[in-house]
Amino acid sequence: MKATQIGICGVAIHAPQRSDSRSLEESIYAVTWAALRDAAYDIDDVQGIVVAGNDELDGRAISIMMASGSVGGVDRDILSTPSSAEHAFVLGALRIASGQFDNQLVVGWSPVEVDSFNDALKIGTDPYWHRALPQDELATHGLQASVLEDKVPGIRKTAAAIVRKNRTHGAIAYPDRPLGPVEEAFIASGRPTRWPLTDTMVTAPGYGLVAMVLASEDTIARRKSTNVAWIRGMGWATEPGFIGDRDLSKLPSLEAACKQAYEAAGVKNPGTAFDVAEVADGTPYHELLAYEGLGLCKREAWNEFVASGTPAKGGKLPVNLSGGALSFNPVFCAGLVRIAEAANQVRGRAGAHQQPDAKRAVAHAASGPAMHYNTVVVMDGGKP
Amino acid sequence: MELMKRRESWNISYDHALGETASYFFAQVRDNAQIYGRRDPKSGRVLVPPRAFSDQTLEPTTEWVKVGPGGRIEAFTIVYEEFKTLPDPPYAFGYVLLDGADTAIGGFFRGIDLKDPAKAAQWLKIGTRVMTRFKDERKGSVLDFWFELEKGGDNAKSVEGEPVGGYE
Amino acid sequence: MRAPRVGIIGIGQSEFKAKRDDANYPELVREGVTRALNDCKRELKDMEAVVYSLAPDALLGIGNAERLGVDAVGARNKRFMRINTGGATGISSVITGWTHIAAGVCDLVLVAGADKVGESGDSQTILNKIWDPMYERALPLGTITMLAMSAVRAMDKYGLTEEDMARVTVKARANAARNPKAHLRKTVTIDDVMQSRYISWPIKLLDACPQSSGGAAIVLASEKYIKENKLDAVWIRGVGHCSESYYMGDRMGNKIMADHADAHALGQSFLRSYKMAGITDPRNEVHVAELYAPFSNTEYHSIEASGVCGMGESMALMREGHFDIGGKIPVNPSGGTLCTNAIAVSALVRAAEIALQVWGRAGDHQVKGARVGIASGNGGDHQFFGTMVIES
Repeated sequence: MKATQIGICGVAIHAPQRSDSRSLEESIYAVTWAALRDAAYDIDDVQGIVVAGNDELDGRAISIMMASGSVGGVDRDILSTPSSAEHAFVLGALRIASGQFDNQLVVGWSPVEVDSFNDALKIGTDPYWHRALPQDELATHGLQASVLEDKVPGIRKTAAAIVRKNRTHGAIAYPDRPLGPVEEAFIASGRPTRWPLTDTMVTAPGYGLVAMVLASEDTIARRKSTNVAWIRGMGWATEPGFIGDRDLSKLPSLEAACKQAYEAAGVKNPGTAFDVAEVADGTPYHELLAYEGLGLCKREAWNEFVASGTPAKGGKLPVNLSGGALSFNPVFCAGLVRIAEAANQVRGRAGAHQQPDAKRAVAHAASGPAMHYNTVVVMDGGKP
Repeated sequence: MELMKRRESWNISYDHALGETASYFFAQVRDNAQIYGRRDPKSGRVLVPPRAFSDQTLEPTTEWVKVGPGGRIEAFTIVYEEFKTLPDPPYAFGYVLLDGADTAIGGFFRGIDLKDPAKAAQWLKIGTRVMTRFKDERKGSVLDFWFELEKGGDNAKSVEGEPVGGYE
Repeated sequence: MRAPRVGIIGIGQSEFKAKRDDANYPELVREGVTRALNDCKRELKDMEAVVYSLAPDALLGIGNAERLGVDAVGARNKRFMRINTGGATGISSVITGWTHIAAGVCDLVLVAGADKVGESGDSQTILNKIWDPMYERALPLGTITMLAMSAVRAMDKYGLTEEDMARVTVKARANAARNPKAHLRKTVTIDDVMQSRYISWPIKLLDACPQSSGGAAIVLASEKYIKENKLDAVWIRGVGHCSESYYMGDRMGNKIMADHADAHALGQSFLRSYKMAGITDPRNEVHVAELYAPFSNTEYHSIEASGVCGMGESMALMREGHFDIGGKIPVNPSGGTLCTNAIAVSALVRAAEIALQVWGRAGDHQVKGARVGIASGNGGDHQFFGTMVIES
């Protein structure tokens, strides 16, 4: 990225418990204002907006249409990146880096109004060869897990330990939110849902919305904004579309995204560069691939890494202190939530799950079948 | 060589939360055959249909305001083409600025002979006064009401003395 | 704002048709991409990022269909994102490509997409689902009815006539006859249009765009790359977006910010693009325009929004031939969206056609001496607008 530093100066993450008292658009309006207030902005200060929702989950053929009113889109420059919610963050940052805008509002959401998530997400499978098969998104995560289990012995137990770790974190971070099983015995005795995944190893979709305010260094200085998370490096990349074209035990797009982000941020030793990490954990196998892809731990050492407590609260590099998607899974915007949570850590605004003295964080978001899109953001909370 | 196709249908259902504002609107339509708008305090506009906030000012709306049942046509069209899952043509619908409202609400126009487009367009021209009519049995939906030309208004007389009616 | 120079170095388009049963969706994407790469003699591996242009999933029948297009655009392990602003998607995608390069993240960006609108069976039924389930979806709203109502208001406000509308189609078809990429290329007379059947009054069959299938792509490059590789290019000088309220009824009534007869937010978007490009007098500084107008009546408010004439003046000027090829400011010399509408890329094609014009490569539909051109895209319920200024 260019010389202009870009900071995140407002964050709001919402997990509405009752989804029937407000319409989706009203909830988007609420999270928008929450982020604006967190940044001490008025809507008239906002120069541009990027949003992301999934049409099939939202039940609207062009989701941005109604949502745009909620985020202050009228008379403003607004775009949408339906590929993933984290892409909205990426584009928001690019729009400031280009010099066209001083700031951006980024909003993503994931409702639970659809009757069947599986059916809605199965629409994403190509009709040419695969839709007749039971290949919904969860099934692709299962395929990925099965390939990993084949390659790396003993990781089933480690996977269960990651579920327990993240939910233990979730119970501290957001005790008001419902949580899946935390006890190892319960996690281990789940019913298979998409073998080898059990229903205890994944979390049912939850209703979530997230909004952030990004601004250039100059704007932040001029407005005297506080609690800023500076973006030091950002990378994003994609896997190919057909599952059969991929080696599911690897994630070259994560490597590519990481390389982009680490080069920009000057990260040479990822194992020691960060105080805290928020990574994709739609399933515990995602988190394992994230450890490797982010350079935190190679697969040969996965079991030991997790058993040692390094990625747990109190360990050397806590991962997913927010509880991750294993605790709260707003499917479409879960990745954007990882970025928001990591930002809050270095902003000192992570509340109950604040890592003391967190200065540098890495966020990893993955979306789509078997982690199709990977996005990495390196942030710190120091000076610009 | 044979070129093949695969037939697919999307069949996904949703339960969309309407929220308090829209729920109140529909309850009033259903129970009292009354249409309401909500005022945006910053611009002063009464928004119909009502919303919890104005997308122009991004301020929450405040008071409920009864609007209608009379109003004027702000836009219309007459559909002569068949589209899947949409009504059988011909039908006329458009937007009406109800008395007391500042924005227009969509609805069907009924009771107009649509066979001759040019004549029908004259009867429906912008500014024409209309009256809201409600079904006897209402469910709480925009289809519980529609608009008909106001009798005794400027446009009540049809062109060339032909009867107003013949549709539905 | 100091606008960094971002150039267009390659353009590719399919010959758009009603149906492309010979190619599946990714193959259509690849078609546009191959042509664009050949146009600038680059390879897929040279592209550092891809911006994928794709409007509603529902029209293709595949959720997040961009994922299937990853290989078609050579994006494995590369920066990749998809844009959707409804019908404006194509131009928003090119603008996003511009953003990537202006941000200094990469030097070469591929912007690509395709559509198979005809395959959805009935696009208006799907497009009915873009309206909110709360209030408006129960009504038979679709893009045709929505824009028919815009025509009705323009008739009331400016005296637009059906003949004025027909005149646009006549011009469009005459232009498309000279454009081998266009879908509908048969010329028509005003009478032909007036005699065609009503779809949604006052829009008749010949006032409406077709459902087209095909792919399109543009390759963008940084000034540095263009200079280092001694490439020929045209330049993106201004970009902008603006959006209106989703509620059409709010564009009517009292104290309105934007009238549904007009395209107020499109006007605002043009102002933003002009500001970046340093254009202060569009009437005299703009040589050619490709304005997104899927229905004949909408070309008028788009022209007025672009500022090349005043509000309500475009119909008289159209009658005088002001917007013909050979007129003062040709509008839609390619035939425009009215003759070709593969929704996901229609607005991309507007930018591509302007690039060809200012480059002097528009063949039989070339506007002589065009050096400064403007392009626009519309999306949603006449809600999202994107605009660009491209110069040689």
